[in-house]
Amino acid sequence: MAQSLTDYAKNWFKHTNKAERIWLMAKIEFKLRYYENKMGLLWALMKPISDMLIYFFAFQVILVSDIPHFVPYLFIAIIIWNYFLESTMGTIQILQVKRYLYEYTNMDKLEIYLSVIISNFIGFLFNLVIFFIMCQFTGVYFDYHIIYAIPLFLNLIILSLAFSLILSTLYLLAKDISQIWTIIVGLGFWLSPIIYAMDLYRSRLPHFDYLNPIAGLIINARTVFIGVNGMHNPDWRLMGFDFIYAGFFLLIGISMLKNLGPNASENL
Amino acid sequence: MEQSEDITIEVFKLHKTFNIRDDNYNTIKQRFFHLFNPSPIRHLKALQNIHFSVKKGECIGIIGRNGSGKSTLVKCMAQVFQPSQGYIKLKGTMMLMNLGVGMSHELTARENIYISGSALGMKISEIDKIFDQIIAFAELEEFVNTKIKYYSTGMIQRLTFATASHAGADIMFLDEIFAVGDQKFIEKAVKVIEKSWLEGRTTVIVSHSMAIIEKYCVKVAYLKKGELIYYGDPRTAIDLYTNDLSNHVPAE
Repeated sequence: MAQSLTDYAKNWFKHTNKAERIWLMAKIEFKLRYYENKMGLLWALMKPISDMLIYFFAFQVILVSDIPHFVPYLFIAIIIWNYFLESTMGTIQILQVKRYLYEYTNMDKLEIYLSVIISNFIGFLFNLVIFFIMCQFTGVYFDYHIIYAIPLFLNLIILSLAFSLILSTLYLLAKDISQIWTIIVGLGFWLSPIIYAMDLYRSRLPHFDYLNPIAGLIINARTVFIGVNGMHNPDWRLMGFDFIYAGFFLLIGISMLKNLGPNASENL
Repeated sequence: MEQSEDITIEVFKLHKTFNIRDDNYNTIKQRFFHLFNPSPIRHLKALQNIHFSVKKGECIGIIGRNGSGKSTLVKCMAQVFQPSQGYIKLKGTMMLMNLGVGMSHELTARENIYISGSALGMKISEIDKIFDQIIAFAELEEFVNTKIKYYSTGMIQRLTFATASHAGADIMFLDEIFAVGDQKFIEKAVKVIEKSWLEGRTTVIVSHSMAIIEKYCVKVAYLKKGELIYYGDPRTAIDLYTNDLSNHVPAE
């Protein structure tokens, strides 16, 4: 079974141009998003920086938060949240916007989703560079534990892809899904440990770190990059839960695409 | 009996019915408020029991009056629409071309060529080699890096056709593409169709131009009100179509 899966993966990359095509579409998507105006890439960096400055002013200057390394603490949470938000909100209408890709050639729809998710991840990496620079100025130093960020980011990509698939296929049935999702993510922001101290979050919202799949990602990313009480090892149990969530939602998303996707052209 | 390995397109007992609601309840709010009072569904039978096959390298035509189901049939064959009954089997890569669409209007000609070429199975290095030929064929040398939303319909058509023909789609569906091109483009396009035919590519042409249909198609499907009236010899199909047209000339 494992051997046949490996062979399948090898064939997929070697004998098709799918990987090359997904990367080509991701690059073009990224260019469309950020190079279309004179400010260019600066816009990609402006949003998280402006968010961070607003929250920093509100919680550090006015409310005087005593969370150590509050700026990077806030920033890593914001860029993870924004990646999830962009990858889900921004793809709700993907089957409509990108219909030229699957209607006029027999391109697999999943490739279109992957290209957009990867394109967003390029933007995420730019933000991560800003985060690394910021850490140097705020006295946060990394060690080998940052290697654990790789499974965390993979988890984030799978989760975002899963919700992207679910929401965009739901859009075929209900055009107001984006309004509903706006309310859900608005609520989700305040139910995630983005601006709160961890102790406060866990005491006031018990079990939410396990119930909210984004919460675990933020908590573990902070642990890996900034550390909690000098510890940098992620909470493996929490990471396991988050992978199960991501896998579960991905299965639902793929199943919905398989069942509703073929009729996308008619329903749009 | 045709050898199954020669069959590139198989249309088997195809039915296509569109289910249309008079009120388009397409939001959660509308569905909720009309949960116990849904509007009736009308079943529009666009295609009924269409059954034929196309061999590799054949150029076939589809003719019929407006609303006879030609474009629906092509979209079903290109797997844009799913059959309500029956099935369609395609062998190879395909590209569907119809009026002014098939590419992203937000992208430049260069980007569209690379994406379309890649979607047709080509590697980037292979597209690099034919890129200049595509641009030259489409006569768009001065507009390579211009977004195609600024192109005329004819320019987009030339670009789409040039890309599909040079990138080597195994099957080309040409839905009324000759309606917008100028004479020079039509001449170039038909030369490509002749060449593609010889190279073993399959072409399906939907057109109201009987001259093109008769000259280049080896078989013709004549559709009337969603039914396949005839499939075979082009001259017979065209005669049936023109007779039908003359019978429907409105009285002065």
